[in-house]
Amino acid sequence: MAKLSARFIILLAIVLLALTAAACFAYPIYVIRPFRRQGATELALALGMIQIGPWLSTLSAAVCVILTALAWRHLRGRLLRAVALASVLVAAACCYLSRVNIYEFLFHPAGRPQFECADQAKLNADDMVIAVRANGSARAYPIREMAYHHVVNDTFANEPIVATY
Amino acid sequence: MRDDQTGTFWQQISGRAISGPLAGSQLEFVSSDELSFGLWRTQSGAKTVLKPVAKYVRDYEAKDWDVRMAKVKTVLDFPNTGLRSRDLVLGVDAFGASRAYPVNRIRAAKLIEDRLNGTPVLVIVGPDQKSFRVFQARTGSEYFSLTQAPRNQIGAPVFMDSTSGGTWNFDGCAVSGSLRGTCLKSVPAINDYWFDWRNYHPQTTIFNR
Repeated sequence: MAKLSARFIILLAIVLLALTAAACFAYPIYVIRPFRRQGATELALALGMIQIGPWLSTLSAAVCVILTALAWRHLRGRLLRAVALASVLVAAACCYLSRVNIYEFLFHPAGRPQFECADQAKLNADDMVIAVRANGSARAYPIREMAYHHVVNDTFANEPIVATY
Repeated sequence: MRDDQTGTFWQQISGRAISGPLAGSQLEFVSSDELSFGLWRTQSGAKTVLKPVAKYVRDYEAKDWDVRMAKVKTVLDFPNTGLRSRDLVLGVDAFGASRAYPVNRIRAAKLIEDRLNGTPVLVIVGPDQKSFRVFQARTGSEYFSLTQAPRNQIGAPVFMDSTSGGTWNFDGCAVSGSLRGTCLKSVPAINDYWFDWRNYHPQTTIFNR
């Protein structure tokens, strides 16, 4: 009976470690998903999770693997071993996924921005632009381009700036 | 926004770092405004425009994207404010106060004289009727929108003041009268949807409400 309990406790620990790694990946994705209202606390937690997620999931996955290896011969029966193995796979996958922000794939950065003279720009007079000015020079970021890229890293008048929309 | 170097997350509307190693830091605000291309290109000096990225051009927003966007449901609503979530406002956060100026009211008025925490401000419409700017007004002056439609140029006079009798252009500079050459101090303002402005400025008031 004691051996049975010990086995289940170890298996439970393995599963919990896998769930911890999964939470490192899934919680930020759940909270930050577009078109969802985010509370201030849950947003702070999700962003914090993105910061510590890679470390926490790695630690969880590592302990999960070690525990499974040590307990393997005690985990008798296909079901227990299948659960342990599945937990290891989930932990390993989430360890990788916690390093990826899938929402960033939705946006395509403008890369190194290129510019053209105002006379060459193929814009209509009524197209809106975000405009900055310094040292007698002016620069325009067309709204329709910005609404797609959202962020443009630039240098203007020898100053690094970021234009966002 | 997230920066690649430190992984810090920055709030877009404020430029404040809200999570990560640089949390609490603040990016310096660069003065900018939203203008029609036709008006922007009439200003003097070297002018450069962000080139479209060739491989994404087909995916860029259509010309009527703002019309379609106005119909997209929002996740935030602020009922009983007299404004709908997607109503466009010109948001001003200055002199210790936040105020939203509904764009349709600015267009109708052409020129708005207001006070933010006691400081006189002037909200004006550009000669293109699409661009807006805010300036700190001169105390004691009364301002009037020019009724005659001016040329669509940034330097064209768009309003006048009672004190000097002079005319002022969309840059906030007097182009005639005894104050010719004087420029009003610009006040930062952003074009925004009402729900977004209200979300980040919970203490905001609405002009004329």
